[in-house]
Amino acid sequence: MLGLSVFLGFCLLFESYLVVPEWVVWIGRWHPVLVHFPIVLLLGVIFLGFTRRNFPVLLFEIAVVSALLTAITGFFLARDVVVKGSLLWWHQYLGAGVALGAAFWYGFRREMQQRTYLQWGIQVILLALILAAGHYGGMTTHGEDFLAFPGEKAKRELPENPLIYQDVVQVILDDHCVKCHNPSKQKGELLLTSLDGLRTGGENGPVIVPGDMERSEIIRRLHLPLADEAHMPPQGERPLDKSQIRMIERWVALGAPDTLRMNDLPIQEPLLGLLKELREPKREDKWAGLPKVADSTIENLGNDYTTIRRISGNSEALSVNIYLPPTYDSTTVTSLRALSGNIVELDLSGLPIGRTELEWVGNCPNMEWLEIDRTPVADSTFRPLANLLKLEVLKIYETGLGDASLPILMGMGGLRHVYLYGTQFSGRALDIFRQQRPEVTLHTGIDPENLPFPDHDAEGPIVGEKDSLAGQGSLARVPAGKKKEDL
Amino acid sequence: MMNDNPLSEHPLKVNRRHFFSQLSVGIGSLALGSLLIPDLFTRSGPTQVSPAPGLPHFAPRAKRIIYLFQAGAPSQLETFDYKPTLLQRMGEDLPESVRQGQRLTGMTSEQERFPLMPAAVGFKQYGESGAWVSDYFPYLSKIVDDLCFVKSMHTEAINHDPAITFFQTGSQISGRPSMGSWMSYGLGNENKNLPSFVVLTSRGKGNSQGLYSKLWSSGFLDSKHQGVLLRSGHNPVLYLNNPDGVSRSDKRHMLDHVATLNELHQNATGDDEIESRIAQYEMAYRMQMSVPEVMDVTKEPEHIVKLYGEDCQVPGTYAANALQARRLAENGVRFIQLYHQGWDQHGNLPDEMAGQARDVDQASAALIIDLKQRGLLEDTLVIWGGEFGRTNYCQGNFDPKNYGRDHHPRAFSIWMAGGGVKPGITYGRTDEFGYNIEENPVHINDFHATLMYAMGLDHEKLTYKYQGRRFRLTDVAGNVIDDLLA
Repeated sequence: MLGLSVFLGFCLLFESYLVVPEWVVWIGRWHPVLVHFPIVLLLGVIFLGFTRRNFPVLLFEIAVVSALLTAITGFFLARDVVVKGSLLWWHQYLGAGVALGAAFWYGFRREMQQRTYLQWGIQVILLALILAAGHYGGMTTHGEDFLAFPGEKAKRELPENPLIYQDVVQVILDDHCVKCHNPSKQKGELLLTSLDGLRTGGENGPVIVPGDMERSEIIRRLHLPLADEAHMPPQGERPLDKSQIRMIERWVALGAPDTLRMNDLPIQEPLLGLLKELREPKREDKWAGLPKVADSTIENLGNDYTTIRRISGNSEALSVNIYLPPTYDSTTVTSLRALSGNIVELDLSGLPIGRTELEWVGNCPNMEWLEIDRTPVADSTFRPLANLLKLEVLKIYETGLGDASLPILMGMGGLRHVYLYGTQFSGRALDIFRQQRPEVTLHTGIDPENLPFPDHDAEGPIVGEKDSLAGQGSLARVPAGKKKEDL
Repeated sequence: MMNDNPLSEHPLKVNRRHFFSQLSVGIGSLALGSLLIPDLFTRSGPTQVSPAPGLPHFAPRAKRIIYLFQAGAPSQLETFDYKPTLLQRMGEDLPESVRQGQRLTGMTSEQERFPLMPAAVGFKQYGESGAWVSDYFPYLSKIVDDLCFVKSMHTEAINHDPAITFFQTGSQISGRPSMGSWMSYGLGNENKNLPSFVVLTSRGKGNSQGLYSKLWSSGFLDSKHQGVLLRSGHNPVLYLNNPDGVSRSDKRHMLDHVATLNELHQNATGDDEIESRIAQYEMAYRMQMSVPEVMDVTKEPEHIVKLYGEDCQVPGTYAANALQARRLAENGVRFIQLYHQGWDQHGNLPDEMAGQARDVDQASAALIIDLKQRGLLEDTLVIWGGEFGRTNYCQGNFDPKNYGRDHHPRAFSIWMAGGGVKPGITYGRTDEFGYNIEENPVHINDFHATLMYAMGLDHEKLTYKYQGRRFRLTDVAGNVIDDLLA
């Protein structure tokens, strides 16, 4: 035991002069396994000491020896790391402190038994050292914010006009890479906490070549198969998803600028779409809270004229299309009552719906897309739809709706698009609506009096020989006399 | 089993070995299934035309596709891919450094010279997006901000039949299911009274190539996914109407009895196709009502007729089919495939091109505008394009007034609109000669993967096992081109 303590002390004192063979590093790899023994055993011994119980000396011995072995293997393991960050430095000396402290306590335990305050003191110090060393050790393996409360880690909101590097790329790096490539750990001598770090690179040279993503090492590593050892982040860590990789790629392709903002990007730049996606929650996530609906329910309620489908196979959000059956009454629609909470898209176009149906529709709180165009809906029956606060797309073209329904439209907070040509809304009312709700697009259709195409085609009918065009529904044949090769 | 004749084993779809190997698994999973899904054995639902569970793989951006296929391969150099270099170096031979010995068709491989030929008409930039459009397309030029141009399509086939088969089925060799059939297989019908995959054909006066029903065949998929050809005129679907003297209720009785017999036969043979047959008879019975209604364009208001052009009242024209396509989309048909023949300009290109463009220009633009005002463009994806491109050098004698272009699979242009693709962008770029792709190539497999993605399908997951292997529309290739998707 004394030998081990001396050896450990020697290692620590002459750290910078030591050159260790490779097999020693291999021994170091056992550190993460061994480390659990002294923690438990020493805590046990300290606990028994506090409670003034007798504990077998053998237990004490094992605890101290395991602490020393752990510290030594830890020291070997640390030799594998080229640049020792501050985390590792603290962990090393605190850990060594635990081992040597425990050995000291063991060596002088008889002397201490006489002086209770010494005994208490060493126990308290050891306890503090174990906690501190363990904490720093945990941070080196799991990341510094591993124990941070979820609130502190809350997703950084994307600003209105984000900086591509700082608000997008660096956030991804912080999330996935900085755990290992930070000043206190610096794996591969690479720092990914700043743009300078990216430019300088690590032991294998720079990781980005601005403007050339194909020669940028970081992108190559991201794209390697997961099983490849050189893939980053390494196996077991959360890999970047496709759009994150794509964003880093585009940023590098654009020359890895640090001052470029989203609004500077040309309309064709794929980054724009990716950023938009980042800002908007995925549709599927929005539907996570919908009530469960069984496949059998969907199948029972559907028929030849009512098509009910899950919008995506694994979600509870439903899309319903109803086509005019040979005999129609309001139950054709209202029989879907069991699905009220699940219907997100509903197509009732062209059905002779009345008040009863619309009242039921108003009770589908999760409706986002509603088609009631070419129906007898009127201002008097439109009111129940005021409840549809999540409605985004509404088709009411070719109906009798008019200005009296405007306040209801105005109240639908989620609205994005309204298709309303062929309705009774006055131009003034629509102008008011546009003013108050500029984010909503009102589609008033094409003006029959003023077609988008002027009649500039003065050459008359395009078709010369109608015979050659009509009735070509059946299979056309290769004209006779055609060159054979040309097939 | 008395003999090992595979034909007699087939109806059972099982032999002794299968039986024993699957028995244990079967019983286990029945027990597990009944635990997990309490009502598993309480009822057996009617056979529905609904897709398999878990589909679509994710929320779709497009619910249906209208594919305006320009059969014969329109020249990219006279439509959307503007190449001023061709004018500057007009008549010069295509540099060998550009062609690099790439193969040619038998029609020009014997040619001594390959003189560069510019477009016969001018190009201008339009809209906020500044997209280039040739003067052949005055109507499309007005809606470029709704279009997404892809100028870097490429294919492997150099002749029409393999190329169009590749585009439609994902394989140059006939026999695979058409992409409309794959969509139908993956997504089922939106409207169960109409087929989910419909085909409309028309033909311009330009040099035409054949169209064959194999292009809309369901291949090894269930035959209910086959494309249904709607003919122009009074009888859009052959043999759909009742024979003279047979009433609808007679027909109903007949179908009921035939179904009983068919079920007996199915019990005896276990052939799934019989089930499809019964379903098809029922669909046809409903289509007797729904098809005449959807095909009846007489109620279309005058300004809509004007929008598509007067031609849309002439059955069998592209304009009539385009209007029809909108009506079918409105009525929940998933895949509406139009073909317009006559784009194979090996000679007399300037004239023929003008005629072909006039056939499709106004109606294509009108279709986009019409879909847009109905909100259909939000969930309908429209595609316009041919099976490959055309050479930048002329075929035959060098005559800027009357030239031709040969087949060119290495680069060509298409456009898409609506249904989750980005409006107002141009994707991909060809070199200054319009010969090779310089940036962002899109292979047919990538194109298919992207379309499937827009429809909510993962092209790697939608498979069908046939002859011992799992098939996909994209076979073993294809990447979703995210940059095209909004």
